[in-house]
Amino acid sequence: MVEAQGRPPVSVRSVNCPNCGAATAVRTFGHAVNVVCQSCRSILDATNPGVTILQRYTDAVREEPLIPLGTRGKLLDIECEVVGFQVRQIVVDDVAYQWREYLLFNPYREFRYLTEYAGHWNVVSTLDALPEGGPTPDSSARSYGGQRYRHFQTAEATTTFVLGEFPWQIRVGDMTTGSDYVAPPLMLSAEVDADKEVTWSLGRYLRADEIWTSLSLPGKPPRPVGVFANQPSPSQGATRAMWRNAALLVVLATVLWIAHLASARGKEAFAQTYVFDPKTAQEASLVTPVFELDGRPTAVQIETATSLDNQWMFVGYALVNDETGQAFEVARDVSYYHGVEDGESWTEGAATDAVALPSVPAGRYFLRIETEGERTASPVRYRVRVVRDVPTSLWFIVAVVLIVIPPILASRRALLFERRRWQESDHG
Amino acid sequence: MTSRAANCPNCGAPLVYRWSSSVQTVCEYCRSIVVRTDVDVKKVGQVGDLPYDASPIQLSTEGRYGDKGFVVAGRILYQYEQGTWNEWRIVLDGGADGWLSDAQNAFAVSFLTSGLKIPTLSQAALGRSFVWNGTSFTVVSRTLAHYAGVEGELPFEYWDKTDVTFVDLRSEGADFATIDYSDEAPALYIGKAVDFDTLRLRNVRTFEGW
Amino acid sequence: MISKLYLLYGLVIVGLMGTAEYRGWRLTLFNEARTVPRSVRDNPGSYRPVYGGFRRFTGGK
Repeated sequence: MVEAQGRPPVSVRSVNCPNCGAATAVRTFGHAVNVVCQSCRSILDATNPGVTILQRYTDAVREEPLIPLGTRGKLLDIECEVVGFQVRQIVVDDVAYQWREYLLFNPYREFRYLTEYAGHWNVVSTLDALPEGGPTPDSSARSYGGQRYRHFQTAEATTTFVLGEFPWQIRVGDMTTGSDYVAPPLMLSAEVDADKEVTWSLGRYLRADEIWTSLSLPGKPPRPVGVFANQPSPSQGATRAMWRNAALLVVLATVLWIAHLASARGKEAFAQTYVFDPKTAQEASLVTPVFELDGRPTAVQIETATSLDNQWMFVGYALVNDETGQAFEVARDVSYYHGVEDGESWTEGAATDAVALPSVPAGRYFLRIETEGERTASPVRYRVRVVRDVPTSLWFIVAVVLIVIPPILASRRALLFERRRWQESDHG
Repeated sequence: MTSRAANCPNCGAPLVYRWSSSVQTVCEYCRSIVVRTDVDVKKVGQVGDLPYDASPIQLSTEGRYGDKGFVVAGRILYQYEQGTWNEWRIVLDGGADGWLSDAQNAFAVSFLTSGLKIPTLSQAALGRSFVWNGTSFTVVSRTLAHYAGVEGELPFEYWDKTDVTFVDLRSEGADFATIDYSDEAPALYIGKAVDFDTLRLRNVRTFEGW
Repeated sequence: MISKLYLLYGLVIVGLMGTAEYRGWRLTLFNEARTVPRSVRDNPGSYRPVYGGFRRFTGGK
């Protein structure tokens, strides 16, 4: 700052309380209209050289501000000093909610407020321009600076406790009507003082630890409880990004799946029909001719198409590599029953069966087939078919489900957070 | 700017009117309010010591408004129920007269505007809107105030301390207007809300510890 | 940060999916038996797939 021509700096002064005699420092130079005696809490007239008492302190309860008067630091890039403190209260559904306001002073700039409720902090400045949407605050949404703010709450606020100094008249019991509109991390507020004045201000949510660092306060700030009106959602941006990535991943998976379906050859490597008579041989066993399974290791499907009719059949397959002797063994229970009961026909089971063996290496193979059935049953015709390189949609479905689970959880978390936020509002 | 020299009719100290548009000034030595006519100077009253105040602006503070520079020439201190505020008289490059309003460091620059329809005091209720020069202004405050002191050079005669009502209006575009209902014909001032940075203030007061 | 981890997670899943499809993986439970010489196999009594421990269906519905 360029030095004033010849005028000395405005000096700090103090006032002596006419009630108890204690001296209280005045930090806002000539701005202070009221100053609260730091000892007996009486509200004094700071502009009167005799310093008259304007309101006596009667409440037995004393509140200690979390941030001591005189604390200095930079909040949102502007240097300031805490000079005043007040506790304000609203009553909603017969429950009183109190919050604290710290008056921030800078000799060259407008006064700002630091508000605190349940561990949530906001730095509030008055606006120079009016928000869109009409002058009188009501419960519809507002626009300001290109941002839309949703109505959160309208309530009458009463001052219940004051400390420090104020550049306007302040008394315990002062009442104003306040309306808040939120667009996290910002909050637009209107305060109406009867029909004298409407003041619009903008608050920005700050994390408690940021404030403690900026003001060089000792210890730790109180932990925030619940979700505050303009508290930014911890997952908001990340959720959107996650869904964008999910879409990309699903597209990628779909492309690979379609490529898989298109490239699967489904080549029939072997097919033959057999007859199994349970009466003659309880445990029949046969061996097929050798057939070729070519290409890279892919799935092999063994299909059993039977003529079963109200009976069951057990088929044991062993797909044996003619050269290496490596065998894949699967047991299949095939049964098919049907009938009519109370005029309704029913079926149970199926006459055909298919099983896929995974990653069967190329080579020359044969099948060893073992069949079993009910001794009294009729003979069964069954056609065995071996298909090489069959596709499946199983892995695609599994992949899509796994891809979609985290964004669903993230969205759910964000939704629950917003629900907790709006529970505290007039619309909760 | 042309200066006119004269002597204080009360104490004889030298008086200088730095701006030709100034009608009254306050003698720095005896605090007499001296009104200047084309012919001579006349003491019309006395002003007490200005209350201890904390505005960062002082007489001869310089700044910029839009593309023009300005100098602070005078001041009126108003007092109302809730406290006080300053109206600093500023003279811009080229001689235009304006007002820099300073209410607890909330600043606005406005200029006397004529030829526009001014509502009556009862019409200018809180929340009502009026359109001037294509901009919609809404009433944001109504204040009953009186003069608590004057300093420096002012462009009119005033020393009375009767109460007067001021109506402040703002727009969505940070415009500012104020209506002074002190005379029979109310006066309308239109301008913009500004802050310390945009004003580029120089030669401001310094404060112990800051 | 979280969305980058998620992208990595998703790419791993898609990668595994692609591999599973390419290599013909399945969830089928099967038994894998080793080196069975042809000559032994042809012997009606010496080797039977049933010895490998099939889950057997032993009756009715």
